[in-house]
Amino acid sequence: MIDIDVLAGLLGGHLVRQRWFAGGEDEAPSCKVVTLETLVEGPPALLRVLVEAAHGGDAALYQLVIGVRPAGGHEEFLSGRPEAVIAMDMETEMGPALVYDATADPELTVALVNAVVPGTDAERGRLVSTESTHTSMVFDERLIMKLFRRLGAGGRNPDAEITRALTMVGFANVATPVAEWRDEVNDYAVVSEFLVGGADGFSLALTSLRDLYDCRCDPEEAGGDFAPDARRLGAVTAKLHLALAEAFPAVRADASHWAEVMEERFVHASLAGIDPALVHAVFDRLRSVLRAGMAIRSHGDYHLGQVMRTDAGWFVLDFEGEPGSSLEDRLELSSPLRDVAGMIRSFHYVAQVALRERAEAIDERIVSLSAAWERRSKYAFLEGYLGVEGIGALLPPGELDQDVVFSAFELDKAIYEVGYEQAHRPDWVGIPLAAVARIVGSV
Amino acid sequence: MTKPKDPGSSDHRSDHPSDHPSDHPSHEAAEDGDYVHPRPGLHVPAPGGGLVQDPEWYRKAVFYEVLVRGFYDSDGDGTGDLRGLIDKLDYLQWLGIDCIWLLPFFQSPLRDGGYDISDFFTVLPEYGDLSDAVELISEAHRRGIRVIADMVMNHTSDAHPWFQESRRDKTNPKADWYVWHDDDHRWSEARIIFIDSEASNWSWDAQRGQYYWHRFFHHQPDLNYDNPAVADAMLEVVRFWLDIGLDGFRLDAVPYLFERDETNGENLPETHAYLRRVREEVDRLYPDKVLLAEANQWPSDVVDYFGDGDECHMCFHFPLMPRMFMAIRREQRYPITEILAQTPSIPDGCQWGIFLRNHDELTLEMVNDEERDYMYAEYANDPRMKVNVGIRRRLAPLIDNDRRVGELLHGMLFSLPGSPIMYYGDELGMGDNIYLGDRDGVRTPMQWTPDRNAGFSKADFARLYLPPLMDPVYGFQAVNVEADLRNPSSMLHWVKRMLEVRHQHPVMGIGSFELLTAENPSVLAFNRTLHNEQTDEHDVVLCVFNLSRFAQPVELQLAQYEGLIPIEMLGHVPFPAVGTLPYFVTLAPYGFLWFNLVERP
Repeated sequence: MIDIDVLAGLLGGHLVRQRWFAGGEDEAPSCKVVTLETLVEGPPALLRVLVEAAHGGDAALYQLVIGVRPAGGHEEFLSGRPEAVIAMDMETEMGPALVYDATADPELTVALVNAVVPGTDAERGRLVSTESTHTSMVFDERLIMKLFRRLGAGGRNPDAEITRALTMVGFANVATPVAEWRDEVNDYAVVSEFLVGGADGFSLALTSLRDLYDCRCDPEEAGGDFAPDARRLGAVTAKLHLALAEAFPAVRADASHWAEVMEERFVHASLAGIDPALVHAVFDRLRSVLRAGMAIRSHGDYHLGQVMRTDAGWFVLDFEGEPGSSLEDRLELSSPLRDVAGMIRSFHYVAQVALRERAEAIDERIVSLSAAWERRSKYAFLEGYLGVEGIGALLPPGELDQDVVFSAFELDKAIYEVGYEQAHRPDWVGIPLAAVARIVGSV
Repeated sequence: MTKPKDPGSSDHRSDHPSDHPSDHPSHEAAEDGDYVHPRPGLHVPAPGGGLVQDPEWYRKAVFYEVLVRGFYDSDGDGTGDLRGLIDKLDYLQWLGIDCIWLLPFFQSPLRDGGYDISDFFTVLPEYGDLSDAVELISEAHRRGIRVIADMVMNHTSDAHPWFQESRRDKTNPKADWYVWHDDDHRWSEARIIFIDSEASNWSWDAQRGQYYWHRFFHHQPDLNYDNPAVADAMLEVVRFWLDIGLDGFRLDAVPYLFERDETNGENLPETHAYLRRVREEVDRLYPDKVLLAEANQWPSDVVDYFGDGDECHMCFHFPLMPRMFMAIRREQRYPITEILAQTPSIPDGCQWGIFLRNHDELTLEMVNDEERDYMYAEYANDPRMKVNVGIRRRLAPLIDNDRRVGELLHGMLFSLPGSPIMYYGDELGMGDNIYLGDRDGVRTPMQWTPDRNAGFSKADFARLYLPPLMDPVYGFQAVNVEADLRNPSSMLHWVKRMLEVRHQHPVMGIGSFELLTAENPSVLAFNRTLHNEQTDEHDVVLCVFNLSRFAQPVELQLAQYEGLIPIEMLGHVPFPAVGTLPYFVTLAPYGFLWFNLVERP
């Protein structure tokens, strides 16, 4: 269909423009096409390509689905999507052809799901989102396909693995997998039931905060009170952890090991204006916890954007872990409080984002409302979480130790965020920095 | 469509009614000397029309709940009456409602708002007599309006002659018409419904020397449906009123007809069997009638009262109403979509009755544990909502008199699955008087004019059954039919216009319902679809609501309608055709849009 070498020559420039490409934007990787298979002859043709992209000393395997159409036609789906085009005019068996990312093409997304999951009988497809590790497409408003982009070094995708295992132990608040595209080596895609009518937790929390900042009353008086939803989310989170502890190994935690990992992260961080001794003190206290509860497979990157409110309550999505971490780190067992801390950090973030929306209209009252909203949401979440029967068995037995472990994970997360913001959104770095200062100051 | 309408007359009908003062029909003139009814100037279409036979009329109808006592007083005694209601039928026809629901108008000592009936065959004298009821029904029918009435099956007043006879001794012919027992220990599993005023479901009757059973007030003894004579007698009551021409009943308190050991006495199989018997009799003898069950329970339990389509035609959907209010307060759709997701499908030919306000309400006692947790979580910490649960308020004060919210709520009421039931006065945005107490606060006189007694009655003020509202915001000086008729942008004209649009689209009553994906949680979007088998055409209506007080954008996934053109239904404005990309809509604060999706404008 198309010449592998020509394609490989173009993919470097294509990859650097993709959000899911892990390397930097400055330098195109050198690419080697590992496999190229034709899923649909076409036209339009649909190809699946696995490409090894070498970048500096690292090499990673990526998955692409590529569409090929005769050149010269005007394709409406590509308007405003220049990054989806690989070549405007490539010599192929079809003649001169347009070569592009097929996930942008509604016709080929349908062809893709019908090719890899026979019996789907999808009629309409649409691209919903491109995340840092995958691309999602929805079919007939009933199925969602998550196409993995960066294939793990060990092959197995943690998201596919965890979702499968959670469904097996009867945890109901994940999108039920319908089919998987995988072989002995790799997970390529998962097709699940689409949560019709769902909205992500971040936009729901923003709705609540906009209402609060406008009415300027106490959060418990505000119409858009988030606490009931936070409480239900806490309960779902606890049930998630119990299910994870059942589906995967759960071992007695070693707090000092967690402390080592956190110190390691901290060594590479640069935190302006924070006394390192205060940070070490938090980790030292973690080290001193003798009974730190259980270490379990956790969500790993738990925040409001990873949970979805639906007509059947909260659902949990995306079990891939922190995108910046290695697969090995992502599979490591950790405290359930790590996820709890992640969500509480998220409450802080969303409250700050809502503040920034009204940048010019911030006053003391709004700032104190923001803090009050965070407090209220946090306590409601924890109330829901701790109220689930059996969750105590996974946590440090004493309240004091719970606080120590929680604070350490909260600090670790905030330090991670500082690094993330420095790399991606430097003017946001103040949000996690303020959190770091608060946490270390409170010890 | 339940009412024949000359399509050509619609413009005429929507003309400002007071432009046609000379059109007053002559029968509206004074009946008793110098007394002239205070009437709004209404343009009344020529007589004729009448009812069109339609076995599923109730699935497309808009109901209007009327308190006879509070609607219009024709004889100046301070109390509304049936003749007064007849006088105001033109108004209801103009408004565009399809069916009047009358609260009980039977002979009663009125210790429970008329739900304590002491003679099923007699009209409460202060409301009129049987001939007035007959005339009301026929005058309503002449205008294409049906009439249903409250019927209390479970019990009578203790003043009813049946009970008076039954209590006399243990051997009289009606001795077994009520539920008597020597002690008061039996059926202790049955909960006490009016827990604030009753200590037990049994009360001692000194005359007979036994206890009698009552699920409600002690002055409302339960009829003994295990006695075939009682079952037959109540069927006779049903036949009597259907013979006169009533179009059906709202069956009050249906779950409690029978009692059985070791049960809570609710929803028993025997009760369902009796309802099937009533339905069979109605179907056999009376076409086009409706039975509407008041089973104050959860939708998953209430559906039992539809049977297999062989019990009641309609049941109230109770939890939807508080959740509509909660959704607007929370600025998110989930309170609504959750309860719809929990609502089971219902048999063919059945319909939910939905409402914003009526005198029945959801209370925490009636819900299941999970929902009670939900309600507590949502309401108990919210002082404002707490106040509004269980206390009867009218719509306008509940929403701080915000016209935008009132329109949003009506927009949902008129398009969500179910037949809307309106409460008299809410079309004006009438208020309440909470100082009159729980029940009476929302039963003040209908406000017709800014004149004396709100134009409701010519009686001396002190003689009125309740004082009309006189406060500066909701009082009759500010809120009344006459003023609203003169103001083309009034709530009243807006409601009338919405009812017109709804009538043009039976899909709103009988179409299927599908929730649409909207990433913005403040937006509720759904479609209603009706497939016309004769023409093989689909009537598709798309409804989009902004539950937030801020403007909101939303992208809708309408790919299944690619190529169709959304026509906004109030202004008939064509919107850009649906393409393959998400359909983008912006909504004003509390705004909503109804679109008809058509192939060409």
